[in-house]
This record gives sequence, structure tokens and C-alpha cells, in this order.
Amino acid sequence: MAVIRDIMPAFDLLQPSSVSEARQLLQQHGQEAWVLAGGLDSFDWLKDRIKRPKYVVDLSGIGELRGIRQTSDGGVEIGAMTTLTEVVTHPVIKERFGVLAQGAELAASPQIRNQGTIGGNVSQDARCHYYRAGWPCYRAGGNICYADTPTGRNREHAILGADRCVAVNPSDSAPALIALDAKFVVQTAGGEKVVDAEDYFIGPDIDITRLNILQPGDLLTAIRIPAAWAGSQFYFEKIRDRNVWDFALLNVAAAIKVSGGNIDQMRIAVNGAAARPLRLKAVEQLAAGKPRNAATGEMAGKLAVEGAVPLQFNAYKIPLMRNLVKRAVGGVEVASWAS
Amino acid sequence: MPNKMQYGGNHKLIGKDYTTLDLHAKVTGQAKYAEDYRAEGMLFCKLALSPVPHGRVRKIDATEALAMPGVKGILTAEDLPAPADSIDDNGRVIRANTRGFRGLTNEPLFQGEPILAVAAVDELTAAEAIEKIHIDIEPLPFAIDPIETLRPGSPNPRTEGNIWYRPKGQPGQPPPQLDVRPLKWTQADFDAAKDGALPMGEVPEDSGVVWSYGDVDAGFKNAALILDETFVTPDTSHQCLETRSAMAYWQNGKVHIHTGTQSMIQTVPAVARWLNIPPENVVVVSEYTGGGFGSKITADISLIIPALLSKKCNAPVMMRITREEEHFIGRARPSMIGRVKVGFGKDGRILALDMFTVCDTGPYDAVGDAASSGRIVSLIFQPQAMRFKGLTVMTNTPPRSAQSAPGGMQGIVFMEPVLAKAARKLNIDQVAIRRINAPEGKAPLGPEVRGKRAYATSAFIKEALERGAEEFNWKEKIARPKRSGTKVRGVGVALGCYVGGSIGFDGLLLIKPDGHICFQSGIGNLGTESVIDVHRVAAEMLGVPWEKCDVCWGTNAKNVPWSCPSGGSQTTHAMTRAAYAVAEEAKKRLCEIAAKKLGGSPENYEVANERVFHKGGGAGLTLAQAAQEAVKMGGIYDGHEVNPDVNKFTKQSVAALAGQGFVASARDKYAHDGQTHSYVASFAEVEVDLETGKYYLTDFLAYADVGTVLHPKALGGQVLGRSTLGIGHAITQKWIMDPEYGAMLSRRFHHSKPPTILDVPQNMQWAALDIPDPETPVGSRGIGEPPVGGGCAAVLNALSDAVGDEVFRRAPVYADTILTSLEAGRPMQQPLTAHI
Amino acid sequence: MSEKPAGDVKNPKDAIKAVSRRRFIQGVIAGGAGVSAATYLFRASTPSSAASTGDRLITINVNGQDRRVDVMKQETLAMTLRYKLGLTGTKIGCDRAECGACTVLIDGVPRYSCSTLTHTVRNAKVLTVEGLASADGKLHPVQQGIIEEQGFQCAFCMSGFIMATVAFLEKNPNPTRTELAHGISGNLCRCQDYDKILTAMMRGAEIMREQKHA
Repeated sequence: MAVIRDIMPAFDLLQPSSVSEARQLLQQHGQEAWVLAGGLDSFDWLKDRIKRPKYVVDLSGIGELRGIRQTSDGGVEIGAMTTLTEVVTHPVIKERFGVLAQGAELAASPQIRNQGTIGGNVSQDARCHYYRAGWPCYRAGGNICYADTPTGRNREHAILGADRCVAVNPSDSAPALIALDAKFVVQTAGGEKVVDAEDYFIGPDIDITRLNILQPGDLLTAIRIPAAWAGSQFYFEKIRDRNVWDFALLNVAAAIKVSGGNIDQMRIAVNGAAARPLRLKAVEQLAAGKPRNAATGEMAGKLAVEGAVPLQFNAYKIPLMRNLVKRAVGGVEVASWAS
Repeated sequence: MPNKMQYGGNHKLIGKDYTTLDLHAKVTGQAKYAEDYRAEGMLFCKLALSPVPHGRVRKIDATEALAMPGVKGILTAEDLPAPADSIDDNGRVIRANTRGFRGLTNEPLFQGEPILAVAAVDELTAAEAIEKIHIDIEPLPFAIDPIETLRPGSPNPRTEGNIWYRPKGQPGQPPPQLDVRPLKWTQADFDAAKDGALPMGEVPEDSGVVWSYGDVDAGFKNAALILDETFVTPDTSHQCLETRSAMAYWQNGKVHIHTGTQSMIQTVPAVARWLNIPPENVVVVSEYTGGGFGSKITADISLIIPALLSKKCNAPVMMRITREEEHFIGRARPSMIGRVKVGFGKDGRILALDMFTVCDTGPYDAVGDAASSGRIVSLIFQPQAMRFKGLTVMTNTPPRSAQSAPGGMQGIVFMEPVLAKAARKLNIDQVAIRRINAPEGKAPLGPEVRGKRAYATSAFIKEALERGAEEFNWKEKIARPKRSGTKVRGVGVALGCYVGGSIGFDGLLLIKPDGHICFQSGIGNLGTESVIDVHRVAAEMLGVPWEKCDVCWGTNAKNVPWSCPSGGSQTTHAMTRAAYAVAEEAKKRLCEIAAKKLGGSPENYEVANERVFHKGGGAGLTLAQAAQEAVKMGGIYDGHEVNPDVNKFTKQSVAALAGQGFVASARDKYAHDGQTHSYVASFAEVEVDLETGKYYLTDFLAYADVGTVLHPKALGGQVLGRSTLGIGHAITQKWIMDPEYGAMLSRRFHHSKPPTILDVPQNMQWAALDIPDPETPVGSRGIGEPPVGGGCAAVLNALSDAVGDEVFRRAPVYADTILTSLEAGRPMQQPLTAHI
Repeated sequence: MSEKPAGDVKNPKDAIKAVSRRRFIQGVIAGGAGVSAATYLFRASTPSSAASTGDRLITINVNGQDRRVDVMKQETLAMTLRYKLGLTGTKIGCDRAECGACTVLIDGVPRYSCSTLTHTVRNAKVLTVEGLASADGKLHPVQQGIIEEQGFQCAFCMSGFIMATVAFLEKNPNPTRTELAHGISGNLCRCQDYDKILTAMMRGAEIMREQKHA
């Protein structure tokens, strides 16, 4: 049978107006349903006719999933369907949790941020060009990885945590949320579940076909950011080929509490290095109590890439990750040209 | 940034800005591109593409698909007309290439090549029908890497081989069709090439391009410095924002085709040839074209798919080409591998150049890039002696075509980094080493044939280089500290050059009895505005205010003259000449009309201010009156007779306009000594972060030598637009293919990475010398092509100024290349591996 | 682009057996066949559900007018505008939310209409390039800026750029060139006329300010 792309298959569009209605529909239709948030990841799959759900559940009409609320503890709760633009421009997020605003602002393009949601951004699928082209790889349920071969094109792929599949997680907001110790609120068949940001994401060792814990029927409804890291020193950097509309080769997010020049406490995460955004706990421990300077940065960077395994075309990710972590921890020596 | 120079001197229209006639429709969304047309009962077609890079279709079973409600027909390669021979303007037979790209095929030669098309009442039905078609394909051996296909024992992209060659012809017979055979270099050739250098394998005389001039060996002997470098340029898809969608229907025996094309009238015979029907039966409509860059010079052969389906289904058919399909069939600039051995004198002058280029053309017709790379290099760097070898190799990758400055861009990119390195080694300023090698005046170019070399019409590039360096603050910029924090900055300068015009085309105008003038334009409208700009020459010569002028363009049904193909920056040069010719013809005939009506001899009359009148005052006619008289007089004056000089297409248009007013047509027969080229001096500044390899372009300027400036704002758009096209080759654009499966992996913009508005500085600058070319009446030359090579090379040179010569050996240069090479202290890139 | 420092593979073709290629080809040829066996025709009646959008005949507000239109569930706004409502000023450049040619304003917010389902904008106000000029034909300042500066070349990207700029300038009436470039960075121009586009749009911003002032 010949293959054809770029025509969305017919589906029934279900447009619930409440979370409970959405949950009911998802439970009812199980594997046959597809959850549509901003749609920017979904439409790719649908237009390629690789995913063919019978039902598409559009969450855009659910008011309770939108918006940013300040919580009693001084943090914020972000509805999963809040757009990235709303996240980027929200005064409290900009002022107190700036690392998230920075990360979200570097995602894709203005139009995508106007439509793409924070829930969609953290839940989007891998962008490996083999997997996305519909090749029958491990992640697609097959038994081969096309990228991890001596000639496979794997410049964008993983240096850490690979297990058969070498795809990476593409989210720019995910590492920022990990750095902020955010909690993800998930509605499951068994009720509401709240998980730490880093536990929302899974590697191929847990399930090679998913990048996160969501099972069919589950729904990410909100992301809670505690007050704990509000107003810390933040660092976010994304390295990409084009300066807009490009996925990160690597990004890094850090929240650092400093007193008297010393790092009291720190949370740091890197994405683009593995199938899940990596929280670098060893780096956090190493840096605690040390001055926030270049020497600590050097040590942190070296530690961060321990155990990294390059593929044929992505060896650069090792020095890049090392240096990004170094800069996040130790700071950047900024250029000061007069002209 | 807006250019502040004043152009055009004392001219009224030439060199002055104005609002082009097509702009209002564009800003209001009313401008219709091919896919914007609708026709009663219009069907939609979808394509089935080859999943394999090379295979043979054994069987197509469409029974189930054709039985679906709403499915109206299928088109396969069996339905295509046989490729037809054609006859050129000089009556010579051009043999059809039976092995060329035909739109559909039973032997796909690249992954993504269309095999069949289905027409249905809507796209969804067509798509569902295609999914029900069984295509049985026998996979065949394939090759996607041009150098690998030259290795001993390697698979060939076509069953017959990997190169085109010219079989020996018989005297008195038309030259035989090109044929295909294998070419393999020896293992010794490969072993001799160290560290990623291009092996110096065989280039057969009947296949490649081999030439030389001067004493190359003596040049090397006298050289103070010899550099031998290999560089690789990327495959870059044209990616016109408008894909090659087309809609077609048949009416009264004629096929009507809505398509995008760079060249309106030239598309008519092309379509006739592809469909094997007489050109009289072809109506092409193309009022607006969403970009071409060489990929739609006469539209695209894929338009025969809706045309033939329309005939088969007896209904209009729309073929909406998707972006993914455009990645496959939308053409691309070929990657080239270039090795240059350059001998420099102490002063930086190039004494000898040994240049070898290999070009990957894909599986079909050979592009001319390899040949033009050598010619352009010989002109823009004026080597005292040069040896050139160019080889074009086939692979099972999407077919290539010309792209702005084909070959010239790649040649410049091979040479420029070597020039930059030499300047550093010889301790010469970068601007100075280019000045000493740049062409001047009627500079020679190309091989020596029977003791003679061809030469350019003119070159004032040295002056552009000087002025550009000044505007760019070159001296101040190189004197500043380079390193601060983790950042290092660099500046680069490069020369750009390409052909800038052809000759011999027609002008046609109509003065209506109300005095309005209508310029018939057979030029395509692809955004360069030459479709309108060139006619301002004639308007100025006839003294008609622009407000009273109309330009008629967009379809041969509107009776347009034979015009040049808009490719290779021909149009401004060729069609200002044609405009000049028709204005002179019109003046002559208007004077004749006045003399006949008012007495005296035509020589005593002149044309100005919308009138033809007796010199020194006295009797005269307004142009409206003259047009009315022309209709009364008939004959040559109102188009009932036609100027015998013009092309047959122009003659038809004149006949169709006959009687509507004063009709004048003329062919450009002006003298033209030399080959027309345009030039640009390009300057770039970059800032590189040494810890990430990430860099930003912080400044850019292009100073152009394009002869007389015709329309400054449009010119500025061309100079900076095509500079950025070149910059894209330096910073982001490429193909990614999997070699094991021969499959294209870069199918989205975020894979192939055309530059965005944030990848270039927000205050780019341009200027032009505005010195007329002496070999053309108006003095204008074309400019689309030259900035591409200059833009790319200036950025590469700025990068090597910042990070050193031993960091990258191919383009585009990404952060990862810089970081890994700096980390290792040596170049870490394997330049010769294709499509990484 | 860069490679692993060690472990150069001399003949990589040996690394994978021909068998896997055959499997791949079969996979690609058959890819989707398994799923496509589940036939659906959009013409068939849709399964009933409380939340189903039900009717295909819907009303959307485009350029200030309510338009009744028959829309498939999976239909994108770009297709509805172009093929059902005759508004072909909105272009489809990539159909994948990558180029911006299809940008329209939905409740004043620039969005890629190729990646927006028409059924999701039933309660919104859609503005396309055709709705910018006033009824008497007076151009929007952004359109006027393009006219004055001869902005754009082939102009296939133009309507998307215009819509993105209009929305950006509503919120940022006095931007620098760099700020404006960031604001309209979700739009690609393949003629790469970015510099002249910026000049034209800056002129549009200026006209907008002049008109507000007057």
C-alpha cells in the first residue's frame, strides 16, 4: 500500500468543556483517543497519517485548564493549557521564576508560543528524524534504532541514558521546571497524582514508546511551582542552530541560592542530552557550599558529563554540556567590548 | 537599512524609486498565485512517491482505489507523452533527453520521486485512494554520495553508470544524445588523497570540463606561498515559499495552466515540449510567482501531471504540492567538492591556480555548476595561469537545478577562504589581497581557445571594494581587540561575481487611442520587479509620465513579446535593451506618422512630453492623436504588419494587438562586446562564543557593481536578499540523508534550516556604484546572482578570522564544528562525507 | 557534523546487513497500511457523543462577518479560509507551523492557521489580510509602509508577515528594528528580503503612530 503524507485523516473531534468531561471521554475511548492541546506536535503526527486516532479530544475549550494562579504558599499554579506566551509574559513568573520565562521564550516561534501550551511543551514527543518520519524503530514499536548505527545521522541525539533508542527530549520549559522543583498534577483512572517534575519524564529503560508517565486516558492538568526557589539566581541557556524555530541541541536551566558568594543550594537540569530532561543531582551536591565561581563551574561541568557516550556525529554535545553546566554554575565571563 | 545614496542622476524614471504596479494586490491579498485559482468542477490530485532511492516498478494495482466513490482517475508513467525533440531559435534540432526527469516514473531514481497521481473530488479522497494502491517495487542498488560512487567497485546510481558523456557525433548530423556510463577512480587515487583532500581522479574529456590557460607550472615555481585546500559546499533546496503547485484545464483544444514560473513567455514552448503539443495550444497563466531562485526558470515539468489528468478526467485538476514533496522535487543547488591549489606571489597576486571540482547533480540531467565554477573563478580572481577540471557525478538524490549563481557561488566559496588564509600567511590586508587580484575593465575569463580568451564587458569591482571597505569601517574594525570574555570576533571580506545579462530579445508596446501606453511584458513576476522595472526605460525615452503607463503581464493570452528566461540575472540587462529598442522603434514610427499627417520628413520630428512634434517647435500630434492616426494608417503602425526582426511569439502577439492603437515591436540588436557580468564586494562581522561554538552575525554590507541602477529599492532587495541566500549556505542550510537507506531525513524547515530574520543582522547595508556598463544602451546589468557567493564567503572568512583557519572545511558551519575543533585543536570534520 | 574522535568505521556498509534494508523497505511501503485498513470516510455519520462537535455546518466570524460554512472535523482554518471562503490571501507555505505564511489573527493573536482546527475558532474573531484595509479601501498603516518602501519580493510570505506585524505593533507601537524582528520571527521569507521587510514594517509602525497621534 502506498504511503501518503500531508492530509489529516478524518477523525471525530470531541470538545469537552470541563476536566471531568474530558476525563470521561478519555476513559471511554482509551487507545482510540488522542489528546489535543495546542496541537503543534499532534498535527505533525496526524498530517503524516502515522497516528490515526478515531477521536481527538480538544482541550482548548476547558477554561479551568487555562491561566496562572498564585497559590497560598507564594508559588504559582499554571493550568496545563496555558499558552507559552502567557507563561513568558506573566509578571509573577517573570519576576520570581524568571528561568521558566526564559526557557519558554526560547521555544519555537512567537505564533507557536501563542498557541502551544505549557502542558504540550513538556509532553511533546521526541523529534528524532527517523522516528518522526514513520520509520519502524524501537520507539515506534519496532526492533531497530536507525540513528544509533555507524552511519546513522545522529547529530541531535543522546549522549546519556540511551537504551536502544537514542532520541532526546526536545522541551525547553522542562529543565526550567525541574530547576524550580515544580510538581505536575496528573488525572489518572485512579485519581489525581502529583509528581515531581523530574519524575514526570521517563527514559527508554522504563518505556521506550513514551517520553513521560502519561498512560492512555491520563491527563496533565496543572503544573505547580513552589515558592521555594522564587527570586533565586537563575541561569538558562539554549544552543540551537537557528535563532528562532529550532530545537535545542542542548539547554541548561539552574536555580541557585547564594549567600556570601557561596552556593547554598542549587537545582540544575539539562535537556537535549537524553530521552528525559536530566536533573544533575551530583552536580548539585558538589556545588553546595562552594563559591559560585569559575573553579566550581569547571568542576561541575566535568562531573556533569561523566559517563557520557557519544555517537558518530554528536561528540560535540560532551564539551557543550560541560561548558553549559560550567556557565550555569560558575557564571559566564561576559564580553565587554567598547565598540 | 534604507540606502541613503541618490541614484539615477538626471534621469526622470531610471534610477528612481516608485511603487510597482503589482504591489497593491500583494499587500491586500488579492494577488493570485497558482494555487489561488478555482475552476468549476475542479478535482484535486495527490502523488504517490517512491519509498526507495532506486527501484523498478513491477506492478501497480489500483483496482480498489479506482472503485472508490469520488476517485476520478489515475496517471502513471505509461500515460506520459514521449519526450519530444525541439527546435531552437536558430532552427537547430535539440534532441530530447529520454533519460531526463519526466514527472512520473517506473524506475524511481531517488526516494520521493513521484510514481503516480490520483485525481479525486477532494484531497482526502485522493489520499485515501493512494493508500489503497499496491505498488510492487523491486529495489535496485543505489548511491547517494558523489565521491563514494567514484570508488572502485561501488554501486552506480543508474543501471548504466554514474556519469553523463557525449558520444562521438557524425559530421553533418545533430549531436547525439548524451549517454551514461560508469566512472571509477583507482584505489591509488583515493590513497593519495590525505586528510580529507579531494582525490585527484580521472576526468574524461568527453564527460567533464577540462581547460587551462597560461603557464601553471611556472606560476607555482615562482610562488612565495602555495596552498592546497579542499572545501565542500552544501546541497541546499530552493524552498520557494510557494511550492510548485499547478492547476490545469482544457478548453477548445488548448491547455490552460496556472503555475508559478520565473519566465512567462518562455514557459509556453517548454510546456508544449513536455506535453508534446504545439505551442499555439498552450495558455500559461502566472501573474505572481512565489519565488524561483532558479528552480522554476520555465515553471516545472511536474505541471504536466494536472494537465494530463485533466485531459483524462475531463475536468480541471489542482495539484497542491506539499512542502515535503517540494523537498523532493523542488530542486536544489548541488553540493560541490572543490580542491584548489593556489600559488601566490609575495604581494598576494595569484600566479597559478589548479582547480578541481566535483558536482553532485542527482540522478538526472547534469547541471552546469562544475563548468561555471571555473569560469567565474577565472574572472573574479584573475589568476595569471589556471588549470581547471570539473566533473559532474550522478547519485540517487533529489534532482538539482540552477540556483542563484550556480557554480559561481561554489567556486567563490572554494577560493575565498584560501585567499583569506594566504593574506594572513603573507601578512597582507584582506582588502588589499582582493584588490590586487580583482578584475578591471574588459578583464579576461575562461580558457584560452585558439590563442584567445573571452572577456567581460566591464568591471569596476575594485572601486566597489574600496568604497565598501570605507563604509564598513574595515580599518577600524580590524584594529579593535578581538577577544573579550568568552567571545571572539572576526571580520571577513569576499568578492562575488556572476553573469549579468543576455541579449537579443524583443520589446512590444501599444499606445492606445487615448494616449495611454501599455508595455507588453513577457517576463515572469517572481518578485524581482524586473517584469515592470525595465519598461520605465522606454517610458522615459518616450517622455510619457509613468502614471499614464500600464504594464501587461502574467499570461501569453495577453499578447506578450518573446522575452529572456529570468535566470542567471539576465533580465535587467536583456530587457532594458529590448525596452530601449522598442522605444527607438516607436519614436521612429511616430515620427513617420507625424510626417505623413503633417508633412515634411520624419527626421524633422522628435518625440517628447507625450507628443511627436516638429523639431524646434511647430506642428505636432499628441501620442493619443498619433495612435488614432496609426489605426487609420494600419500596416506597420497598428500591428497589421510586423517588424520582421522579432521572434515568432512576438509576431503572434503583434497580430493579436493589431488595430488597437499604435503598435511597435523591436528586437535588441545592439552591439555587445564581451560577456556581461556583475560583481559585489561583501563584508561581514561575526561574534563567536568559544565555550559553545555558537556565533552571531553582527554586521553585513554588500557594495555592488551592477552598471546603471534601475530601481534602487528593488536592487537593494536583490543585493541583500541574495546575500542572505548565500549566508544561509555558510550558517545553516543543508540536507541530511541516511546513507544506508538512501532516504532524505531533512524534510522540514527545522531540518533543512533556511535562515530566519534573527539569523542575520537587523541593519544590513548595501550600496551600488551606479557606473554604466559601456556595452549596453542603458548601462544596467543584472544582480540576482553575484551576492550569493560573496555573502557566503564573507561570513566564512569572518569566522576563520575569529577562530582560525583550521576549524572548518565544509559549509554550513555550525556551533558543533567550531566547538569540537577548538576542543581538539585540529579540524574535526570529515569534509568528504555527504549529507551529514 | 563533528565526529567521534576515535572509532572511524572503514566500511560502514558492512555494519548493517542487507536484510535490515529489505525489512525497512517493506516497512516503509507497508507503513501505514496496517492502520489504514481501518477504513473511515469523513462522509459517514460521526459517532455520537455528548462532546462531539456534531454539526459540520458552523458559523465563524471572519473579518467582521459571520460566515456559515461546512467544515470537516479535521479541517484546518487555512483550508477553510482558502477553499471554502475564497480568502486566498492567506497562504499555505509549509502546512506545518514552520513558515508563517498562513498567519492570521485569532482574537487579535497571531496564529498559524495551517495548524488550527476551524472547529476550535467557532467563538473567536478571525482577521485575515483581506480584512485589514478599511471599507473605503484605505490601507492599514502596515500595508501602506510596504507600499512606500517596496517591501518584500515574491510576496508569498507577505500576508503572514503583515498579520504578525499588525498584532505586534498593537502591543509594541514603537519598537526598535531588533524588537520588531523578534516579534515577527515566526515568519520565513525565502527571498530573504528581511532587511527591506523590516524597513517597510518600521515605516508602517511610524504611520500607525502618526495616525494615532492625529
